[in-house]
Amino acid sequence: MAISVDYLTRQTGSNLSRNLSLSVATVLTVAVSLSLLGASLAIQRGVASASDLFRGDVDLLVWMNGDASQEQIDAVGVFLEETPTVASAEYIDKEETLAQFQEYFADEPETLNLLKPEELPTRYEVSPRRPDLASIRSLGADAAQLPGVNAVDFEEQFIQQVEGAVSSLSRIIVVGASISGFASAMIMYNTIRTGLYARRKEIEVMRLVGATKWFIRLPYMLEGLIQGLIGAAISTVALLGLNQAIRNLVSDSENRLFRAFALSTSEVFSISILLFVMGAILGAIAAGIAVTRYLDA
Amino acid sequence: MIRLENVTKEYGGESFALRDASANIPKGEFVFLVGPSGSGKSTCLRLINKQEDPDAGNIYVAGKDIGQMSSWKVPTLRRNIGNVFQDFKLLPTRTVAENVAFSMEVIGRRRSVIKQQVPAICELVGLGDKMSKFPDQLSGGEQQRVSIARAFVNRPLILLADEPTGNLDPQTSIGIMRLLDRINKTGTTVVMATHDRGVVDTMRRRVIELSHGQIVRDEDRGVYG
Repeated sequence: MAISVDYLTRQTGSNLSRNLSLSVATVLTVAVSLSLLGASLAIQRGVASASDLFRGDVDLLVWMNGDASQEQIDAVGVFLEETPTVASAEYIDKEETLAQFQEYFADEPETLNLLKPEELPTRYEVSPRRPDLASIRSLGADAAQLPGVNAVDFEEQFIQQVEGAVSSLSRIIVVGASISGFASAMIMYNTIRTGLYARRKEIEVMRLVGATKWFIRLPYMLEGLIQGLIGAAISTVALLGLNQAIRNLVSDSENRLFRAFALSTSEVFSISILLFVMGAILGAIAAGIAVTRYLDA
Repeated sequence: MIRLENVTKEYGGESFALRDASANIPKGEFVFLVGPSGSGKSTCLRLINKQEDPDAGNIYVAGKDIGQMSSWKVPTLRRNIGNVFQDFKLLPTRTVAENVAFSMEVIGRRRSVIKQQVPAICELVGLGDKMSKFPDQLSGGEQQRVSIARAFVNRPLILLADEPTGNLDPQTSIGIMRLLDRINKTGTTVVMATHDRGVVDTMRRRVIELSHGQIVRDEDRGVYG
């Protein structure tokens, strides 16, 4: 059966305006829930980019034997250059190592006197291309097999801790966002039910004169959809404000990790698109279920 | 037009709302359902427009077995049945014209048709000059006329009236009955549940009497009893 656009707009408009306080309350609850969801997503992105920075900082140290020949040293250099998972490899020779030692132990001339420059171990400082543990580990194992290599160091435990912390934090955030999303769907559902109850007489008349269920349901679903979208718009504004505040807070910070928490405007918009979709689905579906259950009761 | 075959409806346990009731109401007839409160009059009406389903027996409306009817067809059934109630069930936030138009809107009638039909039907029920009034600005009798206009505007085959004069004084009731009689004369089958003795005795139409859910009397040109 045809449902006229004219009827739909008038009915939805009057539904929204007649229960204005209820509509405002619904929009605000949706806005709060979606803001929570948006903030969770923003934090998750911040954590992800901060941990990328973290892991990007991890180097692999390939220590050579003190008596390794020049051929062996060169062979390791060639191996590292030819390995695709290596971003860059820098050779630190004896002189440079000595200079570093002298800098570190400048306050302790006794220690420096004990050093014999010719015995100092040299090393390659390797930056892996991808900061994931598995590829770093296999690279380290391969390098350790080469002749003249004394040991390969990388901070395996540290990387594992970072990865563990990031994944459990993401999990907590996802759970939190799901709970707040569910809560706002429930609030939406109950608000629409209250609205239905207020208009029960009208609905009774509609059913008695032979209106179809879709005819009754559509204006309410449209109402829910509009409320969801307005809520999403408000939460987008809130998210932009929050991000600007964070940006102001961390822009002076020396720490790159803190700066990672300020999102770019395009990142905020990609989150807000998700919020609009969520708001629309949340509103229309919660309203649809509320009306269907009301009509079937 | 309406046929009940051994219809039984119980509301939990021992209490029967309707017990093995059979009746045949041909097209264009005017029937009173009489009996004390709780005798099953309202249940009978609610079964005919499928607001409830019987526990046993069959009900045919316009040749269709409505017990077998799937739920998405119920709106089509209801478009053939107008309803009038004791408490009018008007929408207080809408004017007389809007109340009448509402029942055309919600079944998807064109606006041009609505604009044309509403004034005509308001004129028919004698409210041509009160179309922009709200229900609480009208008397009880006038409100019932609005309710009848709303029930009749879609030209239903059947009009079900549940105690339409229950809240009205005898003088006003006469006016309402004249209106229902006029609607009946257009070919619409009217079934009216009532315990208004005066109305039944004046009209002298077919009377079906119910007692404890059973049909105890069914006579043409009957009186209240």
